[in-house]
Amino acid sequence: MSEAPQDSGQESSISRRVFVRTGIAAAGACYAAALGYPIYQYLAAAAQKAEVEASVKEVVLNDVDKLPAPAALMFKFSGRPAMLIRHADGSWTALSAVCTHLGCTVQFDPGKDLITCACHGGVYNPNTGANISGPPPKPLTLFNVVVNQGKAVISRA
Amino acid sequence: MPDFRSLLGAAYEWVDERLGLKPIVEHAMEKRVPEHKHSFWYYWGGICLFLFLVQVLTGVLLMVYYRPGPDAYDSVRQITYEIQFGWLIRSLHAWSANLMIFAVFVHMFSVFFMKAYRNPREFGWWTGLGLLGLCMVFGFSGYLLPMDELAFFATRVGLAIPETIPGMSHIISAVLRGGPEVSSATLQRFFALHVVVLPALFAPLLGIHLWLVQKHGNAMPPSEEAKPLAERKSVLFFPNFALRDMAVWLVVLNVLALLAVFSPWQLDAQADALKSAPVGIHPEWYFMSQFEALKLLGRVITGTLGEIVGIGMFTLALVMWALVPLFDTRTAGGRRARQTTYFGLLILIALIALTIIGYLEVA
Amino acid sequence: MNYPIWDVPILGSGLVIAMIAIFHVFVSHFAVGGGFYLPMTETLALSKGRKDWMVILKKHAKFFLILTGVFGALTGVGIWFAIGNASPEGTSTLIHYWVFAWGIEWVVFLVELSSIAAYYYLWNRVSDSLHLQLGWFYGVTAWLSLFLINGILTFMLTPSQAWLEAAGSGQETFAFWSAFFNPTFWPSLLVRTLICISMAGVFALVSASRINGEQQPELKTEMTLWARRWLLPAFILLPVAMFWYLSEVPPAQRALLSLGVSTVGPGLFTVLTRLALVFIISSFATVAAVYLFTSQRNAPGFGLGSALTVAAMAYLTIGSMEMLREMLRKPYVISQHMFSNGVRKSAVASINQQGYLATTIWVRPEERARWAAADEAAAHGAPRVPDPVRGELIFRGECMACHTMDGYRSMRKLMKGRDSKGISNMLNVLHDYREDSPYRVFMPPLVGTQAEVEALADYLTVKVAEKPAK
Repeated sequence: MSEAPQDSGQESSISRRVFVRTGIAAAGACYAAALGYPIYQYLAAAAQKAEVEASVKEVVLNDVDKLPAPAALMFKFSGRPAMLIRHADGSWTALSAVCTHLGCTVQFDPGKDLITCACHGGVYNPNTGANISGPPPKPLTLFNVVVNQGKAVISRA
Repeated sequence: MPDFRSLLGAAYEWVDERLGLKPIVEHAMEKRVPEHKHSFWYYWGGICLFLFLVQVLTGVLLMVYYRPGPDAYDSVRQITYEIQFGWLIRSLHAWSANLMIFAVFVHMFSVFFMKAYRNPREFGWWTGLGLLGLCMVFGFSGYLLPMDELAFFATRVGLAIPETIPGMSHIISAVLRGGPEVSSATLQRFFALHVVVLPALFAPLLGIHLWLVQKHGNAMPPSEEAKPLAERKSVLFFPNFALRDMAVWLVVLNVLALLAVFSPWQLDAQADALKSAPVGIHPEWYFMSQFEALKLLGRVITGTLGEIVGIGMFTLALVMWALVPLFDTRTAGGRRARQTTYFGLLILIALIALTIIGYLEVA
Repeated sequence: MNYPIWDVPILGSGLVIAMIAIFHVFVSHFAVGGGFYLPMTETLALSKGRKDWMVILKKHAKFFLILTGVFGALTGVGIWFAIGNASPEGTSTLIHYWVFAWGIEWVVFLVELSSIAAYYYLWNRVSDSLHLQLGWFYGVTAWLSLFLINGILTFMLTPSQAWLEAAGSGQETFAFWSAFFNPTFWPSLLVRTLICISMAGVFALVSASRINGEQQPELKTEMTLWARRWLLPAFILLPVAMFWYLSEVPPAQRALLSLGVSTVGPGLFTVLTRLALVFIISSFATVAAVYLFTSQRNAPGFGLGSALTVAAMAYLTIGSMEMLREMLRKPYVISQHMFSNGVRKSAVASINQQGYLATTIWVRPEERARWAAADEAAAHGAPRVPDPVRGELIFRGECMACHTMDGYRSMRKLMKGRDSKGISNMLNVLHDYREDSPYRVFMPPLVGTQAEVEALADYLTVKVAEKPAK
């Protein structure tokens, strides 16, 4: 902005210039934010969706009576892997399937009646989730499970 | 407050000591743009560049959520209807693609009629034609990616045309289509083409094209060249014309936003190979003239011969178009200049007429 | 349904109002902003003794007089013509209530137009100081006309609690001042004043661009640089002013803005978000483009083409802002009082009981008798006979205020693929108007008896079947 000759009073015009320039910068920032907002929201959409999923309080699984005993059904709880085990004696256990060592997904071995992790050989108790042997430092998180007429309702303990 | 100017100056010195930027910068600062009544057309190359940058930005954003393969349709559905402002990113990308090809045609024809392909700018013309070709392939490959009905059938029809040339069928099936039918395999190849191969070819070609413009400067139309040096006017590129360029880019951004917002791209039903092609299936407008020309020719010369003649004629026209700088040289007499201009007008009118006829026929 | 329905094919009556009104705002805001531009520039020119400035200013004043005096006035009256035909109930209410405000407005118009005529035709014929005073007088009266219409316009979105309580009681005028100085009055006045100042700059740039830059480069540079500064106040303050405005808009209306964030499918009410995006982009682009076109030593080369491009972008900005404002108010024409189709909120219950067509005067007695007979028969258990003719009357009365059949917000397209059961279900959702109905955000309840609702379903089914979905 080089219209100094038209300004009356050089001293006031200098501070006015600073004021105007700050105003322009502020407004420019507002516009940049408004234009960048859609792009930010677009990129954040996936994380927001994950957050919504993570806030899930309970999961309902249907037709679990079709599951043989002993066997395990893998499902997702709050977006993370989980496991529903039907034991040979007819009881049910639901627990997180994320190994507490380095995050691999564990598996149920019905023959040995153990939960094992293929990554580094961790072993867990399928009824309590306790870490029995291998590198895992902590047990698997247990969930509450209620099975009624073929429907299993799993919720946080 | 820190003195930004002297800080910047010191930084510049530090970098220049190591990279030797000064001669390049000084040369760039000297560059001038001729000012005359046809100066308006000088903006169009920049408009193409701007739209290309929009394509790159929106393309990268789309890649964040696009899943090539059997999930492609669903991922585009999510982008369009579930992800925040996904519809906006997709619509900007699709509209910008169309605007870019339009701008490239305007740019090419304005260069043609201003005879800016003449010595020393022949390579500019040839790299430009290469870029145009790449743009068309960008358009064709990108069009398939949503895998909806429109994309599927348009690609099927589009790939079927060169197949009529004897011997081509096997190559097209093996290399381009990845099978006898357009499928997920085709999609993966087109994706690799669209996102890696074409950009890898486009970027250096564009770089050469822009470097040539810097090297040779903007061409003047013959009417301006005829004027004595004293009468010719020009402005500095940096900062004057560059700032005007930015203003034009803002106007184009506005037009693009308007189109994307008021006519957002929707999604058809998912592609189903067993369904018959919808009546009036046609390619996008920038392929329409060739499509229609083949159709019309096919009524006169039927069967494979008609297709071959048609494709042959295109190839011939394209070769002639490319060789124009060697025909209409700076030292050639006025007759060649006029003939070339008529040739250009003929091609332009033919393209527009065929496109319009094409659309009238499918309506 | 006391008035005939204005059936505008393809566009719909609402868009006719939009086209006339947006052009009017484009010109009238220049009329107000120019009211300050002219005397301010004149003051500046006189203080520097610049006769060459005065020559340009006089040409600009002529341009101003013709554009605002002719097109401004014409389109202003055009708005009356359009709203009276498109929304007679709404217009009638506004007249009944605001007649004195409008009376004042017209006095102001008279003074305004007289003073601008005097300002132009007495140029160089009266003393400089008197001429300046005329200019300022014009400016103030022009701004007053904006002040007055702003009250009425903002009333439509936020009529104020006091007026809503008094509505229908005959005592509405006791709430005149609350309704005039309603919650969105002051922010809207700020937004519009800023736009006026910008428009003064936009049109001044058009005049400046026509100065021959080769013959008078310094003059052109000075006038261009002076004109473009007029775009700065809006650039700096609009974000604040819009934020203020939106904070006073009722939350339910404001929530409409976020509907288009994640989706843009047809039939969903996402147009507000899209309009907001266009408004933000174009308001920014207009100012930025001006500064880029006229920066460094570009000013002498600033051509009419560039100036008109900028004017077009300003037009787009204004258009998107006005449409945004209008869309915020849906489904009402007067918030919380009267829906866009003329049905009063307070009358919904009684219309549902008596029937929508029961009180209309535009129905022949034979038709009325036929419906009564059909309703009687249906009450006694006779099978229902489809009545698309009755349904068409319902469509015209209740739906055509916002929908056309095949053009803008095409009813046929929106109902595409639905059979009579589907259409009937949807209409019943509209009729029930439950809290969780997704249509409630943008649409009024479908009022009338169950027989009328079914008749409308019959009509729409016929229409959809005429052009089956591809």
